Amino acid sequence: MTYQLALQQLVDSALPTGAFAHSLGFETYVDAGVVVDEGSFGAWLSVFVGQQLTYSDGLAVRFLYEGVDVGELDSFLSASLLPRQVREASVKMGGRLLEIGAEVFPSKDLALYRDLVTSGRAAGHQPLAFAVVARSLGVPLQEALAAYLFAAVTSLTQNAVRAIPLGQNAGQRLLRHAADDVAAAVERIPHLTPDDFGAVSPGLEISQMRHERQRARMFMS
Amino acid sequence: MKTVPLLAHDGDLIAEAARPGLGAAAWWASWGAHCREGPDSSLRELGAAGDGHGPKSGEAAVPSPATSSPMGELALHIGQRGGRSVAIHQFHQGALRVLRPHYLDDSGQVCYVVVNPGGAYLGADLFLVDVAVGDGADLLLTTQSATKIYRTPGSFAEQRMTVRLGEGARLELMPDQLIAYRQASYRQNTYISVRPSSSLVMAEVVTPGWSPDGASFRYEELRLRNEIRVETDDGGQLLALDNLLIRPPAGDVTGLGHMEGFSHLGSLVVVDARVDQSLADDLHSVTADHEAHAGISLTRTLAGTTGLVLRSLSDSTGELNRLLGACTALLRERWHGQAPLDLRKY
Repeated sequence: MTYQLALQQLVDSALPTGAFAHSLGFETYVDAGVVVDEGSFGAWLSVFVGQQLTYSDGLAVRFLYEGVDVGELDSFLSASLLPRQVREASVKMGGRLLEIGAEVFPSKDLALYRDLVTSGRAAGHQPLAFAVVARSLGVPLQEALAAYLFAAVTSLTQNAVRAIPLGQNAGQRLLRHAADDVAAAVERIPHLTPDDFGAVSPGLEISQMRHERQRARMFMS
Repeated sequence: MKTVPLLAHDGDLIAEAARPGLGAAAWWASWGAHCREGPDSSLRELGAAGDGHGPKSGEAAVPSPATSSPMGELALHIGQRGGRSVAIHQFHQGALRVLRPHYLDDSGQVCYVVVNPGGAYLGADLFLVDVAVGDGADLLLTTQSATKIYRTPGSFAEQRMTVRLGEGARLELMPDQLIAYRQASYRQNTYISVRPSSSLVMAEVVTPGWSPDGASFRYEELRLRNEIRVETDDGGQLLALDNLLIRPPAGDVTGLGHMEGFSHLGSLVVVDARVDQSLADDLHSVTADHEAHAGISLTRTLAGTTGLVLRSLSDSTGELNRLLGACTALLRERWHGQAPLDLRKY
């Protein structure tokens, strides 16, 4: 029980990181009439988990756990998140997580990462802020990955329920299916290589870039 | 002139000390060495959180690396002499060479065309390309024909390119399209370092490949990875990591989120102190005139220079070449007073 409750607090959708303000590209598909219902959002979510959440967020969490320098990882994330809004989303939510973490789960590693951020030597990305806190709490990597990925999926699904809109039960069905994708990602991430870090699918990336030019939008990304 | 250090094929950095400020690259290279030894070695060596790593699915069981010496090797260093850019160091070996230089206009920009006399990349082939453009020099580097990757059973073909741009140096990197045939695996790793005053433009088109039965996306894997750093006197910082991975056997690469039903992919990367949002807006207007699904975004700004990435999907090489050509024409006209590039007449 040492870390379970802390982890629950950390990944609770009520944690005020501002995740409600980000679609991370799915709003572009909604605007284009491609994502219109439970099935089409589920298809997008599945690709998003298997690509972006696996190759960027998930691998960043794993490498941090394996002792790669947080400053180096921070710089690789800033460089590989090429769509500006997604990069800014990661830093915005990461900044909030660093702030909250410093108040409720302080640790030496977290203080070091915050120092890098406040002195302008790092941007402060969400998966790294999460991983630093989770690691300091003694959460094992696999649990940390599962919790982080499922939290991301939950926020996106809640946002889709509001934006598309979908029924609340549809949202729960989506989460149930997404759990399988998250489990598969957690299995895959330990087997990926550094060459995989930040790998993108062109379609997801283009939609994230095009969101910058969308006229009416509910989300910041 | 000192030769730009290249990565040895086993992933070790040669003359690492000659690449100041590349701590992250060294980290990367050492990781690369780990991963080439197989999926488990990196876990074992780097330790982990102590929990289980799940079943060994073998997903990362990459094809065995090439162990022979490079199939082709090319070094081309360009300097500035009397208002014109000229090669100050050239070396080639094996299946890579350059044609004699052209000057396509009176700007002083030198154009070199890379030739692969072997015609294609095969399994376990390693090609090393080392390009340096000195202070104030200006190079247009292109290829004679499409890069074709044939079957690479149990292995992969690889091109490793290092590019170093000096102060005020300019490189336009405009290769022909990449075609991966059935059962081909290919890795293209490009390590670029620029100074804040350098100007880089690179464009590339990837086709869906080719197979005897006419089906598309029958290759095993394509990895096109560009790492761009900005070097200052205080060291280097990573500006952009553009990492494209397409692995058709892993699932539906043609659909939603992947190729979105299109067959061809085009990318344009620009790094220049003059890159800003209004340039991105102008290039966006250019994309609107083409049959392509495109997105544009800016990187962060480091030491006063910024990157711009344009990603586009379409159903033909021709349409993407027209789109990328229109974008580079805008840059050539606006920044250099040059006419649009028309390589085919030479």
